[in-house]
Amino acid sequence: MNRNKGLLLLSSLGVLALLVAAAVQENILKSWRRIQGAAKTEAGPVEVRLRQIVVPGLKAADRCVSCHVGMAPGESGILGPRAVAAHPPLAHDPGEYGCTACHGGQGRATEEADAHGAAAFWPEPMIPLRYAYAGCGTCHTHVRVPSQSALERGRNVFEQLDCLACHKLDGRGGTLRPWGVGGMEGPDLSRAGAAGGGVGWYERHLEKSQEATDGVWKTCFGAIEESARADLAVFLASRVGAPGLVEAKALFHTLGCRGCHKVNGVGGDDGPDLTRAGARDPGRTDFTHVPGEPALPNWFAEHFRDPAKIVPGSLMPVLGLTEEQIDGLTFYLLSLRQSGFPEAYWPKDRILADRFGEREFAADGATLYGTFCAACHGAEGQGMRYPGMPVFPAVANPDFLAVASDEFIAGAVERGRPGRRMPAWGEKEGGLRAEEVRSVVAHLRVLGGVSAAEPDPQPPRWAEGDAQVGERLFGAYCAGCHGATGQGAESPALNNHVLLSTASDTYLARTIARGRRGTSMEGYGDASTVHPALSAEETEALVRFIRTWEKAQ
Amino acid sequence: MSGQQRPSSALQDFARNLRQAPRRFLETVFRHGPPRTDRTRSTFVFGNVFLHLHTARTHRWSLRWTTTLGLGLVSAAAFVITLVTGILLMFYYKPYPDAAYQSIKDIHFVVPTGQFMRNIHRWAANVMVVAVILHMARVFYTGAYRAPREFNWVIGMGLLVTTLGLSFTGYLLPWDQLAYWAITIGANIAQSPREITDALGITEWADVGGLQRQLLLGSDVVGEEALIRFYLLHVMLLPLLLAALLAVHFWRIRKDGGLARPAGADQRLGPPPGDTYPVFTEAPQKTYQLAAIVRGRTAAVGNGPENTLPSMPHLFYAELGVFMLTTLICLALSLWIDAPLKELANPNVPENPAKAPWYFLGLQECVSFSAFMGGVGIPLIVLVGLGLIPYLDREDKGTGEWFGGPGGWPLVRRAVLFGLGAAIGVEALAIRCGWLREWFPDIPQLVITFVNPGTILAALYAVFSLFEVRRRNSVRAGALALFTCFLCGFVVLTVIGTHFRGPNWDFFWSPADWPKH
Repeated sequence: MNRNKGLLLLSSLGVLALLVAAAVQENILKSWRRIQGAAKTEAGPVEVRLRQIVVPGLKAADRCVSCHVGMAPGESGILGPRAVAAHPPLAHDPGEYGCTACHGGQGRATEEADAHGAAAFWPEPMIPLRYAYAGCGTCHTHVRVPSQSALERGRNVFEQLDCLACHKLDGRGGTLRPWGVGGMEGPDLSRAGAAGGGVGWYERHLEKSQEATDGVWKTCFGAIEESARADLAVFLASRVGAPGLVEAKALFHTLGCRGCHKVNGVGGDDGPDLTRAGARDPGRTDFTHVPGEPALPNWFAEHFRDPAKIVPGSLMPVLGLTEEQIDGLTFYLLSLRQSGFPEAYWPKDRILADRFGEREFAADGATLYGTFCAACHGAEGQGMRYPGMPVFPAVANPDFLAVASDEFIAGAVERGRPGRRMPAWGEKEGGLRAEEVRSVVAHLRVLGGVSAAEPDPQPPRWAEGDAQVGERLFGAYCAGCHGATGQGAESPALNNHVLLSTASDTYLARTIARGRRGTSMEGYGDASTVHPALSAEETEALVRFIRTWEKAQ
Repeated sequence: MSGQQRPSSALQDFARNLRQAPRRFLETVFRHGPPRTDRTRSTFVFGNVFLHLHTARTHRWSLRWTTTLGLGLVSAAAFVITLVTGILLMFYYKPYPDAAYQSIKDIHFVVPTGQFMRNIHRWAANVMVVAVILHMARVFYTGAYRAPREFNWVIGMGLLVTTLGLSFTGYLLPWDQLAYWAITIGANIAQSPREITDALGITEWADVGGLQRQLLLGSDVVGEEALIRFYLLHVMLLPLLLAALLAVHFWRIRKDGGLARPAGADQRLGPPPGDTYPVFTEAPQKTYQLAAIVRGRTAAVGNGPENTLPSMPHLFYAELGVFMLTTLICLALSLWIDAPLKELANPNVPENPAKAPWYFLGLQECVSFSAFMGGVGIPLIVLVGLGLIPYLDREDKGTGEWFGGPGGWPLVRRAVLFGLGAAIGVEALAIRCGWLREWFPDIPQLVITFVNPGTILAALYAVFSLFEVRRRNSVRAGALALFTCFLCGFVVLTVIGTHFRGPNWDFFWSPADWPKH
């Protein structure tokens, strides 16, 4: 019996000790208690209790404010460790949206690792602070984002005209007071785009400047050229309170990523859909080949450096991006985290994009070209050659633009080249609209400096001649690059039925005769060291031969 | 009237009674005074509704630690602990998809000691499963299932199944990825008779597997119906069933004359300690009459010298000690390891590998060869085989002795070697060289259903134990061999299923070698 008594005594004491340990852990060691204990206001220490923001509409119960006491709605003047500091000025009331809607992380958690989402089995870790504005992407879809160069121009004008003297933008500037000492400074323009872009601002400014006899209005404002005003308008419309993010999105739309990737239903199909790339679960992401910490930003950055190293077998080429571009793209991808929040919470930009089909990119040809074409055909239309891939044609080549009619180019964009990498942008879901295709074609003419194709008085089909002669010539001079049956190899496929149905005989004949300067396609109208000059008849025979593939199909 | 003793007024009575009320209340609670004499100790036991499942006196053999290792008590204690913590968890748990997960998160993060309670609940449940299996092994190896305890063994089988059912139904409730896919696997195991009906081409008319799955899930997929079904089973039906079976189980111990002990127990124990009062050596009239009514070995009448001790306090110290020890183990585990909680259940993102709860991983390993055999055939064979043990082994040599009976410990040792060796060998063959499907791709599924590592293993075990029956000319010897083999097979398959199986149920030496995608 004594053994049993001893067992009972020892195990009871053990249970008691463990219960005390659990009670201590529960009531004393919780870090939020410690942090709240260190926080105080003028009136004295703050009450130590569990704090939370509950937003039933978003199904959020965010206990972040249990540590970040100063960020809770209605709290002010709380002093103490860094964690309890107030939130920087922000557009959305945390009482209305909670914290995790923007920042990610685990709102219900009360321990740092769990709350910040660093713990295992939590699919949405917090967005790192330096990419914090990526959180906007939970709800927002910025629309009509201009190309990077347009943004750049606008920003340059803004800086050159020294708008920052009176106006604040993203925390900079706004030191001059138009009404003299103690007067008010100009409005903060950080969210000018969200507020409607300030229609009529120029006229009002000009009027004030002309009325003024002296002072800031007189000395600091003058007439602005129309083109500069247009650039400014584009820039200001893009100021929606997400500094950096719009620039990152513009970068995405300059590098031609949508040529292969869909975002919100618009883009190519060669790469993975990126609509929710930023909401990817790090726990289900392969970090085997990623050096450094297993976090999503790191994965993206390493992937941009060398896609096939991170995802074995990836078809994405090494793009040769700068570190700055890699950072920007990482930023933008992190913002692709569209939530399933109820529509009542949707901002107007997302409604415009999702319900009214408003484009996320601006409608000008430069932006469209940057959005869909630049990755393959080069930023300037110079064509690209990625290791392991066939050459992408130089679509802004002046020789090409001189012989290709607008209809022909538009046809190529709309119907693509079936069987090759070029998708049919006009037919597929998520492709380009007719007016957008026209803008792209117009932009190519700008890039190539050829305003219109040479007139072609002949009907589309006129070539006659001996196809057998053509076949012999083709075998001798063309098959090396274009393949024995015109199937294309290093050079474009010539037996492509869309090409053959849209290209006129004149186009083919002129291309053969003149070639494309700057590419490996030589002009065969003149002799060179490796081939004699082809006569007009021989060229016609070649065209005739090429046409036989059309009939075969 | 002066000088005369005044009769006390009712008012004075009231005042006196009020003063005495606390003491009288205590007296009425403990009606028999402090349990210091044998008599009051006995009344303490049989005068209490909760304690009277015990006999008033307990045989000294039963109090030896090595008799039972306290395993049955550990199981019961773990049940009580899960019951208490489970009721606490029910205050916060919401049995609805997604809300369930959020409520578990709330229990973790804001309910005071919520995570601790959930940890205790989880670990106590696991302790219970382990203890129940070990308890069964103890009863088997001490031959304690023999007459008159056959039926209590069968009740024990029911308790084992109910315990596994409780644990399995609780597994889904957190509604996380782990739970969701474990239950999906479990439900697919329930559907496994389809393998046979498919092979026979009669699934259309007699879809037993589909029906079982439907009954379990209430739907085609694991969804809200399944959750509410599992919840109801987990918090009501199965606990009630378990409590009822437990009551019968305990009561039968008493009716069957306490715990089994060897024939020579009294001689081996020696004389009782000097301070023990020997009761009932002379038969009192009343007990004799009772003994005539109550069948069995209840009355120890005339068997003196008595080798029993008063249950109060000897047995109760032991029982409370084991209870507190179990609590200690559960608390320590709970402080040390948090109960798992993965991501919110997502029917679109299957876990790979999706694993059933650990105690079913041996079956899942069998299922990976043949769904029917793993899901229905082998469990059925095992359960029926276990249930038949007391009816087939009707010998009496070795009752109450560890590894008692013909063959004894050397036989068990050989059976351990054979059981482990056969299981590892068959598994190694299947893992290394594949099975019939890899060798003969066109082989009918029905052949694989009946010839697969699981059935081969069962057959090897059967042959081995039949050999032992013949060799030792004893059914008990065969039972010893077979039970040991199956225990070893269970351990080997469970360990392989738990540790060595990765994505797509492929073999890996360590989870660290799993491919990341």
